[in-house]
Amino acid sequence: MPDYDMVVIGAGNGGLTAALSLVKSGLKVLLLERHNIPGGCATSFIRGRFEFEVALHQLSGMGSLERPGPLRSLLGRLGVLDRLTFVEMQNLYRIFLPGSLDITLKADRQEAVRSLKERFPQEKEGIDAFFNLVYDFCMQMIGAVFMRDPEASREKYPLYFGYALKDSQGILDKYLKDPLLQAALTPYWGYLGLPPSMLAFMDFAMVLFAYLEFKPFHLKGGSQALSNALADEFIRLGGEVRYNCGAQRIIVSDKRVKAVVTEDGNEITTGYVVSNVGPITTLVELVGPEHCPPEQLKALKARSVGLSAFTVYMGLDCEPSDLGLTVTTNFISMDTDNDRTYARQRTLERPETALLTCYDVDDPEFSPDGCCQLALVTLQYGEPWLSVPPAQYFETKCRYAAGMLDLAEKLIPGYRNHIEELEVASPLTHMRYLGHLGGSIYGSEKYVRESPLFISPRSLIGGLYFVGAWNGAGGFQPTLESGSSVARAILKEMNT
Amino acid sequence: MALKDVMHDIEGYQDIQKEIEVVRRYGPDYTTQKGRVQQIINMLHPKTLRFTVSEIREETTSTKTLRLISEMDHLPPFQAGQYINLCVEIGGIKTSRPYSISSPPNQTAYYDITVRTVPNGFVSEYLLHDVQPGVVFESTGPSGNFYHNPLFHGDDLVFLAGGSGITPFMSMIREITDKGLPRHIHLVYGSQHPEDVIFHTELSERARMHENITYSLVISDPHRGYHGHTGFLTADLLEDLVPDISTKMVYLCGPELMYPFCLRELKKIGVPRKRIRTEVFGPPKDVTAEPGWPEGMRSKARFKVTVRGRKTIAAQANEPLMIALERAGIVIPASCRSGECSLCRTRLVSGRVFQPSGVKIRRSDAQYGYIHPCMAYPISDIEIVL
Repeated sequence: MPDYDMVVIGAGNGGLTAALSLVKSGLKVLLLERHNIPGGCATSFIRGRFEFEVALHQLSGMGSLERPGPLRSLLGRLGVLDRLTFVEMQNLYRIFLPGSLDITLKADRQEAVRSLKERFPQEKEGIDAFFNLVYDFCMQMIGAVFMRDPEASREKYPLYFGYALKDSQGILDKYLKDPLLQAALTPYWGYLGLPPSMLAFMDFAMVLFAYLEFKPFHLKGGSQALSNALADEFIRLGGEVRYNCGAQRIIVSDKRVKAVVTEDGNEITTGYVVSNVGPITTLVELVGPEHCPPEQLKALKARSVGLSAFTVYMGLDCEPSDLGLTVTTNFISMDTDNDRTYARQRTLERPETALLTCYDVDDPEFSPDGCCQLALVTLQYGEPWLSVPPAQYFETKCRYAAGMLDLAEKLIPGYRNHIEELEVASPLTHMRYLGHLGGSIYGSEKYVRESPLFISPRSLIGGLYFVGAWNGAGGFQPTLESGSSVARAILKEMNT
Repeated sequence: MALKDVMHDIEGYQDIQKEIEVVRRYGPDYTTQKGRVQQIINMLHPKTLRFTVSEIREETTSTKTLRLISEMDHLPPFQAGQYINLCVEIGGIKTSRPYSISSPPNQTAYYDITVRTVPNGFVSEYLLHDVQPGVVFESTGPSGNFYHNPLFHGDDLVFLAGGSGITPFMSMIREITDKGLPRHIHLVYGSQHPEDVIFHTELSERARMHENITYSLVISDPHRGYHGHTGFLTADLLEDLVPDISTKMVYLCGPELMYPFCLRELKKIGVPRKRIRTEVFGPPKDVTAEPGWPEGMRSKARFKVTVRGRKTIAAQANEPLMIALERAGIVIPASCRSGECSLCRTRLVSGRVFQPSGVKIRRSDAQYGYIHPCMAYPISDIEIVL
């Protein structure tokens, strides 16, 4: 008898939902987490009187009580819904290009279309046609893929079969002429990590559609409240968590996992391992290349390392309204060219785009009375940070952050006088806490070849599965879903 | 036809398959990256450091500086003002204490820590009297949030130090003067007696040589005939010494009682709270005097602490749970030992603990019963899970 039916490595979103789903099925599950707290990216930290949200900006897939989205349903099945209080955001976002564009899109199709037409009256028809395309495409994708229509075919779902893998920029160009109008509709590429020219239309369309239909949300206590709720339910059902206890090695014999060795040297036998640390770290660091089937190493060569982030967290001693902030999610950009922005993310040059989230706009209780919290984030690759000498790291981080603060100044002039607390996280910070190459926060690049159409959460080593962003879709909803779908796959395998 | 096969009909699917064949052959070889992430992180934030004490210098009759030479190939960078949590074993008991690094970050050969004796101090007594050069210690990597942040602190700083609270400031002042950083510092250093003043000669000398450093010593308990500032760091004195103090960033580090006192005085002068940075200072001397301490709870009340799956130990109400655990041979991860860093985060299954108001517990951690044992005091029988 192995010590555990299942060992889950990493208590990130995917690890937590996998562990909880499996323990709910009556299995004996051990969850290992090398940090002192569950969540991975979905955590918080405290400075002064502020508890800072680390990663969650807009939770997708919630929907309403009457019309629950996929994530609400999942959290309901996992038994944590009642413990959480969700806050619906009124807007998708405000996008601000100083001097040329300042538009806010409501989280509602009609309203969003109306605002766009008002600002770009000469492109009314294109706007209508584009939204029709996005909606029709997504309805077809839902039918063919999510509902698993047994009669799916190219003829029945022509938009899905025709456009799913097309690059989004080509389609944008076909419908929308003004670069500013395109800028107004594309900031969410930052949630995916590839600019529209490299991003498949299925990903671009689905994000826009999902936020419009199921609305963006946050929750009381931030993403840490969600991680804690999942961990607590797991413990309540008999699951065992070990914090401050990472995995050091996965022992494989006869092409099957046999045991996990923890960082304190305990060998724990198990028939299944669910890894939340991504295939590269799992196979190279934990299994060891010499124990991987050659086909597995070949498949690993086809994987990429995606973007990390640079974030400035700020606690301010004023209310959002004192800064003129009326929208939670604000994209600031000095450039309409997304490709140029993407190219800058490989450098330490002054940042020219940022997302500024002020949680207190939709949730006045988020920060202490009379205060608010800002998360100012830009995407960045880990690479340029690797060549910064350790002794110059702090200075480099401060210089880059100063560029971010200047960018925020364009949107909220004078806010600096209100800064009470400030903390900076670089790609190296993410590398430190997540353990991924490049400090990746979205797993692999969002290339089609690394989407769920082409990669499997099941490794070629018996009993070893992956969850999390590296399964082909980053962000909260996809990673939370990855754990439960992998748990289903494992249960299926166990029962056959 | 299975859904998976139908998907092959998506336009462009075959092209992607060809692309995959190419990258499987020519893509990056991640096996060459084995150990890379840990190596990069270890350069900046190693979990554990190992030192040898190379030299011990007496600063005052009650204070010594221990020079720590790395046993590893390098020392990680730190910010002047940060601390290391030094692990010690005394009489078979393993514990640790955080000490600010008093040497500057530009000194990359060693870290200095400066230790003053604490009445009945279990660890300070040992460090000051028993430790000799050659002794080896482990510690955590440098951490803490008490350092100059150029993004919002500005360059005009007032340091309010009390007693051994001078140590982080010493690191900062050494760095500023060694590197010629364009920061203006006014150090107001409160000490009980002139002979207790740590680093007095060096501070006077650095202030004399560098016009951006001003050093004011304030003696609270002067001998007859003492010439110089006397008394406490009151609003009147501070306004007198630093006329435009409310426009500067004030850093505060000293003994426990100094904080409420100075915060009150600074408020009188009109220094906004956001312009005051304070260092954490460990558990209070007398937790029963903290606001919120349960009425009628005796300080020496003893309770049972059950560590699930391990053992049951006895703990006293006025002692942090972490110390009771260490005394019983159970060492849990620790860094700040002041309730702030959350490294010791532990689940309280049953019973109650008292945590002083400064302890930084996440909202949802509080909801699910997580505590920081370094600053949690048992006030009933409790059960915890490690």
